[in-house]
Amino acid sequence: MRLRRLFGLVASNLRASWVRAALAMVGIVVGTGLLTFFVGLGQGLREKVLERIFPVNQLELEAKAVQIFGTEQVLGQEPLDDARVSQVAQLPGVVRAFGKQKSSFPARLWGGKELLGYNLFTEAFFDGMPAAVLKSELESFEDVAAKRNPMATAKPQRCEEDLDCRAGMGCADGLCTPIVWADRFVAIPDVVLPCAAEDRCPLAMQCKDGRCVGDDDVPPQRCLLPAPAGNGRELQFDAEVGALAQPCAEPGGWCAKPNTTCGSGRYCAGDNPETKLGYCEQPLPAVLNPLLLEVFNSDMARSLGAAPIGSLAVLFGVRFHIAMGDSYFSKDAERTRQQYKQAVVVGFSRKAPELGVALPLELVRHFNARLKGVASAAAYDALLLDTASNELVPQVIGDAEKLGLQLSRKSRAARTFGTVVLVTSLALVLLAAVVLVVAAIQIAQTFAMLVHDRRREIAVLRAIGAARWDVAVLVLGEAAVIGILGGLLGGGLALALAAGVDAAAARFLADVPLVPQGFFAFPDWSVPLAVAVALLCTVLGALGPARRAMALDPAAVLAQS
Amino acid sequence: MSAVPAIAAVGLGRSFEVDGKPVHAIADLTLHVAPAEHIAIVGKSGAGKSTLLNLIGALDRGYSGSLQVFGQELKTLPDRALAQFRNRQIGFVFQAFNLLSNLSVGDNVMLPGSFGSGLDASELRRRAKALLDDFGLGDRFDQRPAQMSGGERQRVAIARALLLQPPLLVCDEPTGSLDGETAAHILSVLSDIRRTRGTALVIVTHDPAIAAAADRVIRLERGRSVAEGTP
Repeated sequence: MRLRRLFGLVASNLRASWVRAALAMVGIVVGTGLLTFFVGLGQGLREKVLERIFPVNQLELEAKAVQIFGTEQVLGQEPLDDARVSQVAQLPGVVRAFGKQKSSFPARLWGGKELLGYNLFTEAFFDGMPAAVLKSELESFEDVAAKRNPMATAKPQRCEEDLDCRAGMGCADGLCTPIVWADRFVAIPDVVLPCAAEDRCPLAMQCKDGRCVGDDDVPPQRCLLPAPAGNGRELQFDAEVGALAQPCAEPGGWCAKPNTTCGSGRYCAGDNPETKLGYCEQPLPAVLNPLLLEVFNSDMARSLGAAPIGSLAVLFGVRFHIAMGDSYFSKDAERTRQQYKQAVVVGFSRKAPELGVALPLELVRHFNARLKGVASAAAYDALLLDTASNELVPQVIGDAEKLGLQLSRKSRAARTFGTVVLVTSLALVLLAAVVLVVAAIQIAQTFAMLVHDRRREIAVLRAIGAARWDVAVLVLGEAAVIGILGGLLGGGLALALAAGVDAAAARFLADVPLVPQGFFAFPDWSVPLAVAVALLCTVLGALGPARRAMALDPAAVLAQS
Repeated sequence: MSAVPAIAAVGLGRSFEVDGKPVHAIADLTLHVAPAEHIAIVGKSGAGKSTLLNLIGALDRGYSGSLQVFGQELKTLPDRALAQFRNRQIGFVFQAFNLLSNLSVGDNVMLPGSFGSGLDASELRRRAKALLDDFGLGDRFDQRPAQMSGGERQRVAIARALLLQPPLLVCDEPTGSLDGETAAHILSVLSDIRRTRGTALVIVTHDPAIAAAADRVIRLERGRSVAEGTP
């Protein structure tokens, strides 16, 4: 039968029995709608919730612990040192591995005045992370590619220091260029690390004249603060605070050079809170977890009477103070070993602690050693792995367990949540499949009735030249049209419903922390899948009736009529 | 006139099982119909008229003996070939018209062209319009059959049967549902077809007037030809 003619006959038949066709389609619409909806929901939960909180293809391992009186204790394990990192990096499926060290010293943090109008004060926790671990994520959050586009600097402005350039620009090689904050998260930033003879200095540095110096060390400039930091509440971010220092005969041996500052984004960091003398240095590069902004906006902003922060972009370059070794709650370190530093937000990463700050690993190791002893900086707290694919994760976990490692709490939670999402999605898809099976049965019943009602029509078609197969194609063609329309309608309704749910969530759950922008992510193939499944169901459902139509004896039917 | 007869049946038999017992609807029937010949088949109900028509019309090939239509032994043809044979060689006209109510008049007439006729849509449309014009229904092309009288519907059915210009027209009580005047009109249409197109006509009828118009009348009784002659 000609295809065009087939469509014509199918269309006229469907028009003639549109009520039955519509009723038969209901089940298909519901089934494919549920299927599409749940596929979108499952994918959305994975992409927008799971992968947002727990990055994919990444694991965090820690030494295997045992439960003793409800607490996890690590017993008799080899330390997580560089040798262990190398060992884990060589496991099949592992692309790279890094060590992570948490701060073991007390610290407090304050700042935010330039953004909120007043300072926030909190205890601070740090994760020391290698720059290489965060690099790609920092660049993607900052959209570094656009900043490095030469078009962005088409008309460069000449400068001598950062202050000569407008906001968001910095002075490099005498020209104002967009500041690429991600580039500032480096292993050893332009920061002075004070030390004593017994302290540990990072990498190839050694302790000399009370600070860690490298082979190509350029002595930093000395500076004088107007007053010792004290408790730090009076410290300012103004780069003009503090003046360059020069040796003199005054008590302490240093005098301020009049009308000078550290300049070029540097500030005067006191050697300890008890002295005015310090070094000119850059603030510590700090990386925050983007979820922190959501927690602030949804929970904290209202209670603090602050306006929600619109986007992460406004936080780039925001400075805050850190008092290393000082605490509001626990025993402080010796005052002369404490360090009051400035930090600057240089980017965001989901690997950063949710309620803390990620700093370059070597800085955290240094302060751990200086404030809590060299032993506290000897080993990593966790290993970070990138796996080649999600499918390899179980294998990597199995291999890591043989090395005495286990998933960290965060990774365990991610896997548990991922499993829950997967199982729930499968259960819901199974529900949709049951609906579709019922719909196929309904299609079979409807078409059985249609074939019965049209048996004379079928006999006439046979009499004027239709072969058995032509009749079957006609029946299956009608089923196919119902399937395609039902699939499109079901898929479309699912998209519309998902959009409605997302809109409702955005409206009613706006104040709930960590609620994503939407719960659904429909893959490109979701609606085609709905159509294909609907087509399959209707055609399978109509197979029996089509066979009965083929088997119809036209002579007998025409004799009856 | 071609040497191949339109219909050549020798020892034709067709039986059905009813309550486990064989019932011979057609038995040892011999029949020859020349091309362009017009025959009428008459007989009482149950005489086997419709069974014979179904056999000749290639709707039923479960027969014994031999039945050749235009030299083609029908029972040897597979389903698709048989369908194609019906499509090209045989036109059906039924008592109940059997038009498809959800199609327009034009679409009904063009319907046989849907099954591998090899004609394109414009040619089918041209033929359908010409036939309907011939039968005085040229302006009813887009109407639905339900909007027409019985006689008009039967003319549409005849136009449908003639679309692919089959050499054999098989009519089962073509005037059975029509009043006398309309029946006479349909008869004249069929006679014209035979005369102008050289189409062989096999008409099953109870109507003596229809039978009288045939070249030959074959009377069936219990599946056998009991009388044959001119009207």
